[in-house]
Amino acid sequence: MDKIKEQENIPTSKVQRASKFISAGAKVGGNYVKHYAKKMVNPSLTKDDLHTSNAADIYSSLSELKGSALKVAQMMSMDKNILPRAYQDKFIMAQYSAPPLSYPLVVRTFQKYFGTLPEAMFDTFTKSAVNAASIGQVHRATKDGKDFAVKIQYPGVADSVSSDLKMVRPFAYRLLNMNEQELDHYMDEVEEKLLEETDYELEVIRSKEISAACSHIAHLKFPNYYPELSSERIITMDWLEGRHIKEWLETNPSQEDRNQIGQALWDFYHHQVHNLKQVHADPHPGNFIIQDGVNLGIIDFGCVKVIPEDFYHGYFSLIKKDLLIKEEELNQIFFDLGFVSNKDTLEEQVYFKSVFKEMISLLGEPFHAEEFDFAEDAYFNKIFTMGDRISNDRMFKKSKQARGSRHGLYINRTYFGIYNLLNQLGAKIRTTKPDWLK
Amino acid sequence: MENIEIKKSNKVDIKTKILSAYIQYVLEHGKEPSSVFKFAQSIKIKEEEFYNHYTSFQGVKSGVWDQLFDQTITMMEAQEVYRTYSAKEKLLSFYFTWIEELKKNRSYLLALYQGHTGFRKSMPEELKSFRRKFKDFSTEIILEGKETEQIADRAFISDRYEDALWLETMFIFQYWLKDTSTSFEKTDVAVEKSVNLAFDLMGKSAVDSLLDFAKFLYQSK
Repeated sequence: MDKIKEQENIPTSKVQRASKFISAGAKVGGNYVKHYAKKMVNPSLTKDDLHTSNAADIYSSLSELKGSALKVAQMMSMDKNILPRAYQDKFIMAQYSAPPLSYPLVVRTFQKYFGTLPEAMFDTFTKSAVNAASIGQVHRATKDGKDFAVKIQYPGVADSVSSDLKMVRPFAYRLLNMNEQELDHYMDEVEEKLLEETDYELEVIRSKEISAACSHIAHLKFPNYYPELSSERIITMDWLEGRHIKEWLETNPSQEDRNQIGQALWDFYHHQVHNLKQVHADPHPGNFIIQDGVNLGIIDFGCVKVIPEDFYHGYFSLIKKDLLIKEEELNQIFFDLGFVSNKDTLEEQVYFKSVFKEMISLLGEPFHAEEFDFAEDAYFNKIFTMGDRISNDRMFKKSKQARGSRHGLYINRTYFGIYNLLNQLGAKIRTTKPDWLK
Repeated sequence: MENIEIKKSNKVDIKTKILSAYIQYVLEHGKEPSSVFKFAQSIKIKEEEFYNHYTSFQGVKSGVWDQLFDQTITMMEAQEVYRTYSAKEKLLSFYFTWIEELKKNRSYLLALYQGHTGFRKSMPEELKSFRRKFKDFSTEIILEGKETEQIADRAFISDRYEDALWLETMFIFQYWLKDTSTSFEKTDVAVEKSVNLAFDLMGKSAVDSLLDFAKFLYQSK
């Protein structure tokens, strides 16, 4: 009942809509849980018919819906709305939130994949998780005097990705004001990436590859990965001692140290994007660790985006200084990247071209100077106000087209993530560009 | 002396022989043998010898379930870490080990129980002895849970906890029969989440505080 009511009068602003959608889901779920809880503790109501299966079903679909739905909503919104403030909080909330795995299930996972117990593989092994990863949890272990981080994936996540996304689809159409076809264009990309994230064997291979290719960059630290102690659902790597960014900032680090960490982060991404053409596409604060002497430790290569050559060229042409590109060339890029299409009216084409030009010149600003101070909140406020203004514009709201190449989804997310981290660090960066853009 | 011992081991052998021959038969034919006579003949024992050990096929099936339970307990207790587990972890460990044992006999169980509707309404006869064994096990767990205050002792209701856990067991069994996910991962999730839920419901919760508060308001009126 509640669900239907909520859908009939969806509030207008997108942020409101997003938060309403979440609370509606929680309410429906809450009702069910309460309903079944009541039935379970009151035997006269139940006559032993405890509906364990129903309750368990709802319980599980609830916690899963929360993760994927939010993830999708948050990613789509980034592309259309350029990160309004309210979404930022959701971004952090949207990490897969499930109760931690019980130790017997950890034991079972070990038995399934290694045929032995955690205690037999390591000298010590913590019974409870020391950290939550996005779709798993981390235990700390030791063997022969060495410390390891052992990441264990929640079972059933890989199987549920596709069905989760199907569940989210109808909500996403309404939420994001897109038509089905346009949305599917992005959904496929999201599904592909989420499935990749559940493939731990691939993650080990990529982690080794990228960390080897970036080992020359100053002040970066990568853990070693141990394929012989890893499997489809388990990854073993070195334990990196250090602090998370937030904790580190609480220790009042000096400006030099902040700059050093920020620069390491920038150089790391510069090398990946422009030289390796594949990038760690999840610059979430939880994936970094800051070590004494100040080095930046990179953990978790779950989400890696490979950048196709033609997309790379078009996308980064846009950061040429002050768009010193010819109008014609720019138009071609806009078409190629799907910002503007033949389905648009002439009026729409003109409007969206101007909008994207404005966005690009603002977002590209850090690239245009030798140095850029990301501590400046004024710059970020300019981005937010522009995002709010554009997303409230009648022309923008009216258009049901999805805009931008599917490849842009994760690249945009990556850059938003980096900007955001650098802002948190308050770092001043020597910004670099590849030679062909100078 | 010696003579008796030989006889005894011989007896056990025939018992297990009947069990495994029966499983074999179901696996090959996808159904139960049509009569005890024919079955006894096919494994080259006299019909009366069959009746020395089991009264009917029902009894054999019951024996299979007993074996499943006993093996689960042995496997589980062989893990050193089991002794350090809390009540909830013990129950989880039981279910996980049990599904592993079930897996070894999946085809047999599918042949007999696939499409069997409503275990809750009419439990197959042969599960009775398994149920008794499980009940002893769960009573112990609930007792331990109460001692460590993981489980709340509630008037009237706490007597039904064992029944609730039995229903959960049957839910897991049926879920597992239908599970088609890789290496039955979904069943793992179902076990984990349903045990969490069961212990949350059996533990001290907001409902208890609410009742307590309501009682207070009522009495102090």
